[in-house]
Amino acid sequence: MPWDVIIFYMIGAVCVLSAAGVVVANNPVHSAIFLVLCFFNVAAIFVMLGAEFLAVAQIIVYTGAILVLVLFVLMLVDPDDLPEFHAARPVQRYVGLLLGLILLLEVGVAILDRSVVGRRAVADQQEFTQIVDLVGGNTQALGRTLYTQYLLPFEVISLVLTVGVIGAIVLALPERLGERLYRRRGTISLGHPRGTDLALPAGPVGESPIAGPTPGAEVVPGGYGRRLIMARDPNEQPVIGRR
Amino acid sequence: MGEIGVNHFLFLSAALFIIGMMGVLIRRNILIIFMCVELMVTAANMSLIAFGWELNSLQGQSFALFTIAVAAAEAAVGLAIIIALSRRVRTPVDVDEMRTLRD
Repeated sequence: MPWDVIIFYMIGAVCVLSAAGVVVANNPVHSAIFLVLCFFNVAAIFVMLGAEFLAVAQIIVYTGAILVLVLFVLMLVDPDDLPEFHAARPVQRYVGLLLGLILLLEVGVAILDRSVVGRRAVADQQEFTQIVDLVGGNTQALGRTLYTQYLLPFEVISLVLTVGVIGAIVLALPERLGERLYRRRGTISLGHPRGTDLALPAGPVGESPIAGPTPGAEVVPGGYGRRLIMARDPNEQPVIGRR
Repeated sequence: MGEIGVNHFLFLSAALFIIGMMGVLIRRNILIIFMCVELMVTAANMSLIAFGWELNSLQGQSFALFTIAVAAAEAAVGLAIIIALSRRVRTPVDVDEMRTLRD
């Protein structure tokens, strides 16, 4: 058995096993680590296929950026907010396994039965390798293809990335940011406790309710006669009318 | 099986894709589902590169590069949605219970 076959089977076995580990691991952090392992092996497969640039891009983009992002989100999200790890109903589990097996059968038949319809760029592998080497390597050849044949899709994909990042920032922006600014401004100009007006019985969702006016205090709602209190700390509660 | 052919890579890619699909169907943790989707995208990438390798062309690799970029954008938006959900919804984020994206 030649060496490349042995290496392929080793890499493929680790790849499939770590992918299975992603699905069955109890801890989401373990899933992420398994996914990193799987992606490293996929990068090795890419190297075997002669796509060196994509192998490096795979490692940088997936394990370097996306998986770190996933780990950040894992740390940010409260683990109690996520459902029980194997909380799927048994019906769901069996249906999932059955559908997977059926799809595996179909894809296996399709792969073994297929006939490639397509134009070969160069007749044989050796000549293709020579052409790529003539340009200077896989990265240079890919760059030439991207900037000549696929120039417009390349620009469009940069637009997609920009819009995606802006959308992500807008989605993840905390709601309370605006409210905190509002409260601080109100503290300076109004003479009410915590700077809020009377008609605010409860705070935003998940926070403690805002304290109403202290009992016995004479507060004129909306009037002009209240004292102006300059509070340095927005959470400081000035006592009005009682001392 | 002396020589290594494109079918080997296609079967490996199919195995990865199906494992990812099973993960999406079986698990209910939204982050695991997200990682399984990434796994499926990577499997599709491997198919593209394998076909390009068989046809001696660079088109497969170009398409795989575009796919990686789209997957990166999808990851950013998906994780932002997860953060927004966990911030707004007080109950546990269960993918079976999620029906709306509004408050």
